[in-house]
Amino acid sequence: MKLTQLFAAMVTLTTAGTAIAQPAFDAAPPDRSVVQDAAIREAAYLARVNEVLNWRASGATVKTDDPGNLGLAAVACKLALGEDLEDCSLSVIEVMKDPGTGPFWMFPNVCVAFLGRDHLTDEAKAAIRETWRTTRQLRGDTENHWVMYYASLFLMSELYPNEPGESWYNGLTSEENLAESKAFLIDWMDMTTKIGQGEFNTTHYIGEYAIPMLFLASWSEDAEMKQRGKMMLDWLFAELANVTLNGVMRGPNSRTDEGSVIERWNALASYFSWILFGNTPPTKGYGGWGVYFATVAKNYQVPEVIYRLATDRGDDFVQRDRARIRRRWRYSEELSPPVHKTQYMRRDYAVGSTTGGQLDPIQAHAWDVTWDEPDPRGKHPTMFSLHPNSSSRAMQMSFTAYPEPWIKGVTNEGKPSYDSPDKIVGSSPFEQVFQDLDTVIALYDIPEGTRFPHINGFFSKDLVNLTEDQSGWIFAQGGRSYLAYRPLAGYHWIPYLHYTGGWAKEKLPVGGQLLTSPHLQNGTIVQAASVDEFASFEAFQDAIRALPLEFNLEPVPMVKMTTLRGKQVSFTYGEAPIVNDEAIDYAKWKLFEGPHLNAEIDGRKMTITHGRLQRVLDFNTLTISDAVK
Amino acid sequence: MIFSPRGIIAAALGALSFVGSLHAQPSFEGSLPSREVIEDSAERRAAYLARIDEVNDWHIDLASSPGSEVKLTFSTISMLLQRGEQIERCNRRMLELMDPEMVRSGPFWMFPVVIAAHAGRDVLSAEASASIREAFRFKRQLRGDTENHWMMYYVSLYLMSELYPNEPGESWYTGKSSEENLAETRGWLIDWMDITTSIGQGEYNATHYVSEYAIPMLMLATYSSDPEMKQRGKMVLDWLFAELANVTLEGVLRGPNSRVGDTAVVERGRTSASFLAWLLFGNTPPQPAHGGWPVYFATMAKHYHVPEVIYRLATDRSEDILQRDRARTRRYWRYSDQHMPPIYKTQYLRNDYAVGSHQGRISDPIQSHVWDVTWREDDPRGKHPTMFSLHPHDSGKVMQMFFAAYPDSVTGGLLAAGKPSYVEPDKLVGSSPYEKVFQDLDTVIALYDIPAGTDHERVNGFFSKDLRDLIEHESGWIFARGGDAYLAYRPLADYSWTPHLIYRGVPATPGQGYSYERDPTGSQVLVSPHAKNGTILQAASVAEFASYEAFQQAMIALPLEFSLEPTPTVTMTTLRGKQVSVTFGEAPIVDGTPLDYTQWKLFEGTHLNAEIGGRKLTITHGQLQRVLDFNTLTISDTVTSGK
Amino acid sequence: MTPLKTFLTLITLMASTTFSTAAPEYDFYICAKVNRDYVIGSKVETVNGVFQRTDEGAWVHQGYNDTTLTAVAFDPRDRNVIYTSANNGLWRSLDGGKHWRICNDWDMTEARHVAVDPNAPDHVYLSLPDGIAVSTDRAQTLVRRENGLPERGKYTQLVTIDRTQAGRAFAGCEVGIYLTENGADSWRRVLETTDIVNDIQQSPHDPDHWLATTQSAGAWSSRDGGLTWSPIEGVPRAHSLYNVTFDMTNPDRLAIGSWGLGVLTSEDGGKTWQDRNTGLPEPQRVWRVGVDPSGRLYASVHTQTLFYSDDFGRTWQPDTLKGSLVNYFVTMPKSKQ
Repeated sequence: MKLTQLFAAMVTLTTAGTAIAQPAFDAAPPDRSVVQDAAIREAAYLARVNEVLNWRASGATVKTDDPGNLGLAAVACKLALGEDLEDCSLSVIEVMKDPGTGPFWMFPNVCVAFLGRDHLTDEAKAAIRETWRTTRQLRGDTENHWVMYYASLFLMSELYPNEPGESWYNGLTSEENLAESKAFLIDWMDMTTKIGQGEFNTTHYIGEYAIPMLFLASWSEDAEMKQRGKMMLDWLFAELANVTLNGVMRGPNSRTDEGSVIERWNALASYFSWILFGNTPPTKGYGGWGVYFATVAKNYQVPEVIYRLATDRGDDFVQRDRARIRRRWRYSEELSPPVHKTQYMRRDYAVGSTTGGQLDPIQAHAWDVTWDEPDPRGKHPTMFSLHPNSSSRAMQMSFTAYPEPWIKGVTNEGKPSYDSPDKIVGSSPFEQVFQDLDTVIALYDIPEGTRFPHINGFFSKDLVNLTEDQSGWIFAQGGRSYLAYRPLAGYHWIPYLHYTGGWAKEKLPVGGQLLTSPHLQNGTIVQAASVDEFASFEAFQDAIRALPLEFNLEPVPMVKMTTLRGKQVSFTYGEAPIVNDEAIDYAKWKLFEGPHLNAEIDGRKMTITHGRLQRVLDFNTLTISDAVK
Repeated sequence: MIFSPRGIIAAALGALSFVGSLHAQPSFEGSLPSREVIEDSAERRAAYLARIDEVNDWHIDLASSPGSEVKLTFSTISMLLQRGEQIERCNRRMLELMDPEMVRSGPFWMFPVVIAAHAGRDVLSAEASASIREAFRFKRQLRGDTENHWMMYYVSLYLMSELYPNEPGESWYTGKSSEENLAETRGWLIDWMDITTSIGQGEYNATHYVSEYAIPMLMLATYSSDPEMKQRGKMVLDWLFAELANVTLEGVLRGPNSRVGDTAVVERGRTSASFLAWLLFGNTPPQPAHGGWPVYFATMAKHYHVPEVIYRLATDRSEDILQRDRARTRRYWRYSDQHMPPIYKTQYLRNDYAVGSHQGRISDPIQSHVWDVTWREDDPRGKHPTMFSLHPHDSGKVMQMFFAAYPDSVTGGLLAAGKPSYVEPDKLVGSSPYEKVFQDLDTVIALYDIPAGTDHERVNGFFSKDLRDLIEHESGWIFARGGDAYLAYRPLADYSWTPHLIYRGVPATPGQGYSYERDPTGSQVLVSPHAKNGTILQAASVAEFASYEAFQQAMIALPLEFSLEPTPTVTMTTLRGKQVSVTFGEAPIVDGTPLDYTQWKLFEGTHLNAEIGGRKLTITHGQLQRVLDFNTLTISDTVTSGK
Repeated sequence: MTPLKTFLTLITLMASTTFSTAAPEYDFYICAKVNRDYVIGSKVETVNGVFQRTDEGAWVHQGYNDTTLTAVAFDPRDRNVIYTSANNGLWRSLDGGKHWRICNDWDMTEARHVAVDPNAPDHVYLSLPDGIAVSTDRAQTLVRRENGLPERGKYTQLVTIDRTQAGRAFAGCEVGIYLTENGADSWRRVLETTDIVNDIQQSPHDPDHWLATTQSAGAWSSRDGGLTWSPIEGVPRAHSLYNVTFDMTNPDRLAIGSWGLGVLTSEDGGKTWQDRNTGLPEPQRVWRVGVDPSGRLYASVHTQTLFYSDDFGRTWQPDTLKGSLVNYFVTMPKSKQ
């Protein structure tokens, strides 16, 4: 229900993009070597920003009989470049004749209002201002909506201070709007820096947070809000950098979609990796909304420590972090239960997971093993399983709606697979996951009568040497990684059929297949390793076969095994996992804990570390500190 | 020995000035820069990068223009290497410059070569790189005898040792291994940073030598492979530029200087400090040919980000600034109970003028400038916007305090060493043990008690050609107007006028160092030939008074008593209503309380604050605050809750 | 058409049949989302929000074109004082819809329902997904009043006010029906349910007679002013019962709207119930039912349109507002203005 305009805009931008070549998108993958020279890093960043601006600005021209055809994204880029200013004013006047409503309309409007402060005609500026009187803006019902809504309202109220309630759509004065907007934004920052993000590790929605924060950092006249914007950008991008491998986001996502969950690179997050770190190609159309980030990206300086998190990978690392679930209005004992994430990143592959359970009602992705591909475009470098949960009650937990229209409804609103038994997006209350380094055990205990009483395992078209071993393990190689997948119940294969877009009505084969296991008590074990660790694929298989392993599915699924890394693990559905005889106590997990990111629960303070470089973001004092240890 | 870059500076500046006159230099010849504060950080950064490009483009263009006789200098080579242009030409030129006959000695040769070596590390030919390396084997490098020399020397040796690690003593002119060189240079650099951040700079507020500190620090920040030294370089740059920004008014350095030249002491805008202000803040024109040595800063300047809080110190002046800071003198080898006695500086900056001073003592033996009142000129180029007085002191013994030299010959060599005015009676540069200065806001009282038999028993007062409406009033006050400032100068003894003569460098006999001729500038020197003497100077803004006459009446009405015997003393009420009493050799008294300089902090004022021994500077502008903490090597940016 | 153009414009949507009864003594309003495919961020293509039916049977849009209105309420003393509950919270107009003010801040969202106490008209009750907020100054200020509601389980679909006693109201929550008799200073549960209470209505004929419907816990009735409740036999629990309504012209007539059951009616005061979906489109997905002051029964059918029946569901005719979802029917004494 929330994504319609996002996809519409992305489609529009993508279409526009087809007219003009996208240099970095069409080119070979970028060089992944670390740029040591700070001036060269900065120049490369600015060049990428200019690439986006020039591409989008040249993607449309004003027709004399249709000055409105530019659209706000192109206007924003032209304003940023100082080009075609008269056409920009004409376009703005035309666009403002028929304003939209809601945060996806508000922030582009604000972007043009600020970029055009010194460029647009008085008539065009007045046209923008008038829409903020006449058009009631919906605040939406999702966290990213509110961040966009309040950042936009805050900035417009700063731009037009001391104006009466009659001049604003909500009847509040500029000062009342400022006060409410600032209060929400600070509350959101407090919550995020104390107990984590609600929309954590999103493949696309990171833009809906980064863009408003950059707008604050660029345009707010309030020095405190400017600083908060900068600090939140560092916070978001530090985590993005840390959970990417060569620019591609890995592991669990609070929200993703049918495309990004398998073509991991094809996500707005990759656009941010490209523009910030230059270590992966940008997505088509620069990710749609990503263009708005570029219009003011020159106001952000990528901190060296964050750049190095993304690009300068030495040792393998484990990061254990907390986040929170989207707030639950009903059918839950907790408003925003915690999410416990584990990420294990190596040079050749990454393993990431949550502990399972119901996360986002529709678009969550609980765990995966992903491998590096030299060119990630078009590749499906991932392996995972899930219970294809499809439940109107789950959606009722998060939305104020009746259950019956929901399941069919969301399939028409950008989530086409939600009602499909072979879907590969979504979380389930009947899945529990345990990860130790590069071993994942996912257990399923699905009640009788549940829709789609089976689990789906995704096997990529890009796997090679797929072997169904008589031992029960399924072996394969993905990139420079060996993978072992152990289904705990009988299964069969079906072709993976793919919705090619949020609005696609039919599924098409794109390669790959689904392992379908139609058993209520079920489980998956996945073990990964680097090809460098074994003399041969056979040696890897021998090592896996030799691992001590016991499991049963009744009365509840249980696995007891020794991992490839020599850990004695025991995991029973509904119980705390046990590693080397010690039960994991998730309650003790910090907000961030690992070699690169560290933060205490409720601390409002993150320490970002790479080698001897350290940046501390302290929201208690609104201080950014850079130290060399 | 008094070390000087001698021929190197002469050649570099001479050549650059000469060719510069033939080659258009956009910002130098262009209209004045806007003094508007740039609020948008991206625009600020873009403007800074554009100024850097202007410098690099100009020098590259100069050296590349058809028929150009200009041979590539190390600076141009570095610029070309960083851009990956004319590499073969750079290789050839580098081989020429590294010919044993061409290789020079000392820090002014070392740092340009080291910059070129690092800029070319991936693009110079192996032969050219080897030739640089070889020069550091066979050519003994003089370390010099002045703080800035050591700074340039040790940073250069440090970075060369990092570039060529694990090499034996035989491969270095020092006879020490790369690791030994690294350890020594690092040790000294950290010691210098500790001293500077604990008790202040020795060469404080230098009009030119600021670049001899900024360039090596930027070299560290840019090229060091040690994150700690990189960070230290960044932090010292912030430290230096925060103070530079704070004591400039529209990009022109004000107040006392540890070291200054005969030209810069009157033409306040013609300094390396102004070049840096232009490059960093864009609020004043640059120098002809970008001032010579500072060009090397521009070769690496893209590696420095001007912090917003420092930019605003320089450009966003919403309130008067009062700053009381500490520094130290150059180290005394002899004839002193103290190694590096403290300097107590007072700076008062307003929109139309600035008043700055230290307490008066020998700071640098030759080139220091103790106090002045300077005013804002829309275009500072060619202007002499300053008023001050001094005792034109020269002394072989004072020179001996600082240099390992004999008294009789040392002063004579100064003309050839580039300090032509040192022994001249009408000189305007230098400090004296017989001058004591007191400042409260925009009132200065300078008292002189010159022992009989001292060279030049007189006081020189500088009166600019740019003053207007100069009136020698029967009250004894001399009134004048400079820019939008009213000035009142009260000589405490009789005086006469002589024309001001500036020094003009002329071609010298080879091997004889510098040579000069003198030209009148239109400014004048008030000469008061009395050993017991004094000057009172009061400034005010034109906007504060209904008319010039009203200002004069206000001054004449001020209660004032003074006497010169047995020692000069002044008791007066300042224009700001303070009751002050100053007696030569005694602590000044303000509103009944004697000043206790020993209580002064390292920095204390509107924008800069630091404790003695603290190794930590807090830079504040409005809600913006940057803390440079050398104890933890941390740079912290905070937005405070505001006032 | 832009919201500006629709601001207070009157869009006449003539009924397809002539109106059969004499001019009623009441005004009849609905809150409708006509823009069926509207999602947040997209353009508003049609007119949505509050519509008043004219004496001639036309639907006249009033106030703001908002796709998210869930309920409308008026100050009984002054029809120009209008309250609408919506996605952003509570919107209030003091001038008949010319100007609107959002009355809540970011602490309240996605309002489910708004009600004005007819015996204390300055008191406004806002139902929220995480509780209840009350204003005592015509929504100039709103404060949460949740004493007695559970920490979790206070999802509140609506608050229905007892017209006979100031400060007496029932809240339909996730885990039951809660009663306040002191203007929401405190609440107590009078009916525990296993699922969300979707609707609570007071009989226009007998103020002690109350009906309630739930998502999966059936329909309930009270004859003692809501102090005790008993399940209504004959109304299946298998499907969500979205709302219930009385017929102000006939005390025996009741109607329920349901997803899956469509329209159920009773003409014996709830003793027996009949399926009244003949003539309505399949499948039986009725969003709301309502009865106007003349006794005409309305049914808003999901993704279809508004239908009406002049024989209490035996036959149906399509009304206008094609594609609409009606969220709320409200009857008010006829405005004198």
